[in-house]
Amino acid sequence: MHTKTLKVMVISIIIMLTIQGTVAASGPFGPPQPVSRPAGGLHTGFGYWLQEDKLKNSNEEYISRQQQIYSEMGYGFQKNWDLYARVGLSGLKLFDAFSPTTTATTTSKNDFSENWKFFTTLGAKGFYPVHPAFGIGAFVQGSYYFSDFTDNTTGTRNGAPFTIELGLKNLWDVSAGIGFQATIPWGINLYVGPYIYYTETKVSPSANITGLALTAGETTLKNNTVFGGFAGIDAPLSRGFRLQIEGKYADRLSGGAAITYSY
Amino acid sequence: MPQKAVPSIKSYLFGVTLFCVVLAAGCAHKPSVVSDPASSAAAPPAQQVMAAPKAEPSPPPSPEVSVKAVSGNLDDYQDIEDPDKGKEVEKVTIADPLEPFNRAMFQFNDKLYFWFLKPVAQGYSKVVPEPARVGVSNFYTNLSFPIRFVNSLLQANFAGAASELGRFIINTVWGIGGLLDPAASKEIDLKKQPADFGQTLGIYGVGQGFYIHWPILGPSSPRDTVGIVGDIFLYPSIYLGPWEVWAGARVYERFNYTSLRIGDYESLKEAAIDPYVAVRDAYVQYRLNMIKHKGGPPPPGVKGLLENN
Repeated sequence: MHTKTLKVMVISIIIMLTIQGTVAASGPFGPPQPVSRPAGGLHTGFGYWLQEDKLKNSNEEYISRQQQIYSEMGYGFQKNWDLYARVGLSGLKLFDAFSPTTTATTTSKNDFSENWKFFTTLGAKGFYPVHPAFGIGAFVQGSYYFSDFTDNTTGTRNGAPFTIELGLKNLWDVSAGIGFQATIPWGINLYVGPYIYYTETKVSPSANITGLALTAGETTLKNNTVFGGFAGIDAPLSRGFRLQIEGKYADRLSGGAAITYSY
Repeated sequence: MPQKAVPSIKSYLFGVTLFCVVLAAGCAHKPSVVSDPASSAAAPPAQQVMAAPKAEPSPPPSPEVSVKAVSGNLDDYQDIEDPDKGKEVEKVTIADPLEPFNRAMFQFNDKLYFWFLKPVAQGYSKVVPEPARVGVSNFYTNLSFPIRFVNSLLQANFAGAASELGRFIINTVWGIGGLLDPAASKEIDLKKQPADFGQTLGIYGVGQGFYIHWPILGPSSPRDTVGIVGDIFLYPSIYLGPWEVWAGARVYERFNYTSLRIGDYESLKEAAIDPYVAVRDAYVQYRLNMIKHKGGPPPPGVKGLLENN
């Protein structure tokens, strides 16, 4: 049985890595099977997630990086269904958002950056145990940032000084996917699966500065390709705690870890 | 001019005094960490604390009151062996020179409880389901972690301090900010340390002195009143900003606490020939037990009525 499980996992990983994608979705998906106790119940968690995306509008492409800390609470129904919510703080860096495109324009910094904005994530997952040691699950989750990210920079245009403020508003994302989970000895769960993903944010500049691409007017940044893959490990610690380590890969690699507790 | 991060002592005392007078932050049967330092300072000096072995001469009948003097291997019917066979049972006494005042304050608190605190708590419990009220209670308990942690350290109860620290971290991180109490689960089993500054003073040999029943705050002693003042400065909510904020937080905490324990005081009162004496004796025993068994569980029965934190 384990050989068959491993074959499925290896095939899944190959499928995922061969699919072209440009972004990774926000936050971990967790193991397909809810981490609640067998009879069901509440679980909580605390985690860190490093997220890298590639966001683009019709003209330009930017790499974004988010560092998130979050608290999670979920309720599992007999380890087959799970509803969960996360609340956390996130920083956002958009590389080269202030980089001049002409030599006549200079700026004091190139990257957009702001920290500590609240976000929330809601999700649901279902799991079907094909075998005591193997199962398939599906999930959907979405995140929304309550606050806008803003940053400003100073510079010169043809020798004239300017100050420009950039706002990234209404950042949200939604993801859905399927996961394959195998349970190996010591109660360790390995999981892997593909997902689809969409995110967008509105860019709002305070002025139009020639030579700064993102200040040309209000625009929308979104991901281009929607496919990605994820894999992770969910291992029991002691006294009801579990450790989750997960990674995602699409165009860029993201990853994080969380410790959960099941009531 | 930059705003002061921490209000002055004067503003604390003013806030505490006004808080005590205006609102029922306590109940007739439960002491609070909120106290009136001015009243405490005005109290007469402590006379004595008696925790004498049975063999010692009995104290004079008044104003000192004997709480319990039980010993022996058989029960009242002389037919069942006492499980505490061989253990030395101590006589617990406390002076009560202010008995007329204390009885008046007891009556005041009794009416305050039945006429105001209990009806409000009952109305609150009709609106807010019990799991939510338990969550609020857990949150406040988690918030008062510094009191238990610092006093455990002061008592050289390092295992207790570590347990408190573990409880705080686990309940804050995995208990949704303290609303849940996973640290008390069977698997983790980190017990709350009933430690406060009055207990710390007692462990260092400070006697509790005479019995005093404060209006609103309930049963206390000069030592425990001083301890309450010390605990105030370890309670995080007093640093929230204006005194109205933390006073409101304390009042809400007390209503929530009472809503979970409606009936406890009534049972004690119904079972007692003299409820005033019953409450006083329960309080004295409870405090003595806390000092004797630092870090241990408080005695059953009076825990819910008398515990501070």
